Amino acid sequence: MDSKHLLAFVAGATLLAAAFPSAAQITPSKESLSKLYPGTVYSPYAQRRFPSRPLWGDTHLHTGLSVDAGLFGARLGLEEAYRFARGEEVVASSGQPVKLARPLDWLVIADHSDAMGLVGDLAAASPEVTKYEQGARWSKGLRAGGQTAVDTALDLITTFSQGKVNKELLTAYSPGSKIYASVWEKVVKAAESYNDPGTFTALIGFEWTSLVKGNNLHRNVIFRDGAEKAGQVVPYTTQAPIGSTDPLDLYKWLENYEKKTGGTVLALAHNGNLSNGLMFPVDAQYTGRKLDKRYVQERAKWEPMYEATQIKGDGEAHPLLSPDDAFADYETWDVGNLDLSEAKTPEMLQYEYTREALKNGLLLEQRLGTNPYKFGLVGSTDSHTGLSTAEEDNFFGKHSGTEPSAERMKHPFTKTKHGEFKGWQTVASGLAAVWAHENTRESVFDAMARKEVYATTGTRMMVRFFGGWSYSKDDLNSRQPAFRGYEKGVPMGGDLPGRKNAAAPTFMVYALRDPIGANLDRIQIVKGWLDASGKTREKVYDVAWSGDRKPDAKGALPPVGNTVDVKNANWTNTIGASELGTVWTDPDFKPNERAFYYARVLEIPTPRWIVYDAFRFGVEIPQGAKTIGQERAYTSPIWYTPS
Amino acid sequence: MRALASLFGRLLREPLVQFLLLGAALFVLYRAVSPAPEAPPNRIVVDAGQVARLAQQFERTWLRPPTRTELGGLIEDHVTEEILYREALALGLEKNDLVIRRRLRQKMDFLNEDLGAQREPSDAELQAYLDAHAEKFAAPARISFRQVYLKPDKDSAMAHARAEALRAQLDAGSILATEAGDATLLPRALENASAVDIARSFGAPFAEAIDKLPAGSGWRGPIETEYGLHLVNVSARDPGGPLPLSAVRPAVAREWGAAQRANAKAKFYAALRERYTLSIELPAEAKAAAPKR
Repeated sequence: MDSKHLLAFVAGATLLAAAFPSAAQITPSKESLSKLYPGTVYSPYAQRRFPSRPLWGDTHLHTGLSVDAGLFGARLGLEEAYRFARGEEVVASSGQPVKLARPLDWLVIADHSDAMGLVGDLAAASPEVTKYEQGARWSKGLRAGGQTAVDTALDLITTFSQGKVNKELLTAYSPGSKIYASVWEKVVKAAESYNDPGTFTALIGFEWTSLVKGNNLHRNVIFRDGAEKAGQVVPYTTQAPIGSTDPLDLYKWLENYEKKTGGTVLALAHNGNLSNGLMFPVDAQYTGRKLDKRYVQERAKWEPMYEATQIKGDGEAHPLLSPDDAFADYETWDVGNLDLSEAKTPEMLQYEYTREALKNGLLLEQRLGTNPYKFGLVGSTDSHTGLSTAEEDNFFGKHSGTEPSAERMKHPFTKTKHGEFKGWQTVASGLAAVWAHENTRESVFDAMARKEVYATTGTRMMVRFFGGWSYSKDDLNSRQPAFRGYEKGVPMGGDLPGRKNAAAPTFMVYALRDPIGANLDRIQIVKGWLDASGKTREKVYDVAWSGDRKPDAKGALPPVGNTVDVKNANWTNTIGASELGTVWTDPDFKPNERAFYYARVLEIPTPRWIVYDAFRFGVEIPQGAKTIGQERAYTSPIWYTPS
Repeated sequence: MRALASLFGRLLREPLVQFLLLGAALFVLYRAVSPAPEAPPNRIVVDAGQVARLAQQFERTWLRPPTRTELGGLIEDHVTEEILYREALALGLEKNDLVIRRRLRQKMDFLNEDLGAQREPSDAELQAYLDAHAEKFAAPARISFRQVYLKPDKDSAMAHARAEALRAQLDAGSILATEAGDATLLPRALENASAVDIARSFGAPFAEAIDKLPAGSGWRGPIETEYGLHLVNVSARDPGGPLPLSAVRPAVAREWGAAQRANAKAKFYAALRERYTLSIELPAEAKAAAPKR
């Protein structure tokens, strides 16, 4: 605003105040604010109805409560996991001190539900216990706390183990006589005490670990609610007769939870890459049941997100499915299923990867009326150490047996006659960015439910992605492009509003690199669509890039370069850009074809975690191990549906 | 084979093995002479208590009692499990199973935690804990500031000169901060931001640098970051500091509880350990490598 405008503003405000003496609030007229400035009031922070920064978290962390984590030696429990995520230093199960470079904003501890059964009731001080002398004594001693409680516990255990407990008291303890404690109660209680609205959100959750013949069909379940609702149930398991491995049964349980408690809940799957063709069915489920309206509707209803990248491989795209995508082969795990009890065959891939599922979703929507794979994208760790570590230079591994050591990159992660996942192949990935208005359970959950989320492979770059029909370069160049973004279209995870007279949709996309991370190489927009003949198609467009690179005759953009010094585990930000952004119009748009668009943002090459291991432990990197990667972000798509 | 025989021979001379064998013999004798204390091993009784427990587990999952058919299924599954469980025990399959050992260790931890976590702390206890750890619960310092961003230049001196000139203009009021500098996606202002908040957007070195600037001292800087140069104007500063218990009670209670549990756990284990005598026999090579005491 120059001085003339300022004068007009002051004059306008004065006039307004004079004309409406009762109006306490002064709103400048639109003309009085600069054309470059998109806000409707002077203060860019007042009346803002959209989130100003993404909140970073992990939807998928295991603690020692998960049986497999415990088996691998995880000693860290719920409390340590929360403390670590909130930025405190803790001691890992392997005895090494560890701390995050920056705290997370929120966390879902998702321990396996099958381990959360009833554990016992020894501590319950119910009336039928205290009417016996022993019971009363123990109950009192335990409630006293401190040394008395410790002594009492010892007395109690000794008495039990020697069979000297009063017979009748023992009968009072018989199964069925009272409420049993479950591990779930501990999970819920810990989440309650570490949830700190405004500062740190502890969402209650669990993992439903459906494994069919070694094929991964796992889902994580996340509650919007606190203890008063989530504490009414115990998590759904996969063990018959109460549990089941069929997602349709999980949906029933979710439905039942909402109906009975008035709560709200969602589920998200992960590791389609280890499902051997079962994660994203197109014709029939693994049970043989044909996909019908019920399946697609329920899946769309309960699974608004998918975990596209994590320690056991990146699942955005596969090079065989996307042969024209030069960046599709990123941290690919395609040897077999989860436990490598069956090898992978190429025809399985089409039912395993994110981009293919998004494409097949368009097909199923045309066929059955609902798109079952209309999900937002997040990354998470699936770490089994109680430590959510996704940074290459601070990676504490998949499980406690793979916490930092000179040997870990050399040991096979899984090895059978069908193949091997090598230790060095584990991925220091990923994170979930959530465009929530505030850091509370409700707000974070609601952003997930409306898919306003994105995945990264561990970096914390900021990415905005909007779709509409009338974005222009001016919108991007305005001081607060997000105002225009929300005003003229929809953010990531949304549906393009109805097309009026526009020829093609426009997308405003911009990214700011991680303040302590690597520069950006390029922004790409990935488009998938269903063509007139009913075939799914895809294309990757480079839309913004650093430097003055020019695409070659075939349209391929030259690589950004590489500054990685493997020997010294280092790189420099002398290439790439700290910010990239553009407004892009789909040059191949056809109004009668269903489509989706999402942004993929690549960083410049940086060292993988094994390079830091080699440097810090002074060991050799195994032959053939990948040392360099381009970390990235995947936004949730924006969908276009012909009217 | 000879090695195995000699190992057996050595084992039989071990007092512990002798003791165990004696115990086993006594046990067999006891079982032989005493009447069966409970149902014979091939009889399974699913009593009302157990049925109620099965129903309860179902109800905790589905928030309704099982139907008659469902309960039948639960009982049938329980029986299957009981049979396999007993047969597995008869085969000794529970022995030295890592999963079972770790689960039992965990259950001891649960037991101890549950036993130790019964009591609600008093205000006096929490106040004492807060006094002892005041810095842990203090409100962080908060700063409100605006920033004007300038793109980095290959010629660092040029960039700094440009920043100096712009700073003078800003101080003189001849240009508005919202209009000055280069376009950026970085926030142009933060309000009541802690050092952690500031570092999230600008990195830790920037947060440290701005922490040194007094409020109301006009446009300062430039502060250099990986993004470029930043002129900053700190408008307000709240030093933070200790908070009363009423403001931080849940956090203090949480930390107090965690400290109690950690303490109880350590004591519990120490007390149990006192019941044991420990002898560690290192193999020869480990002995050589072990640190001298």
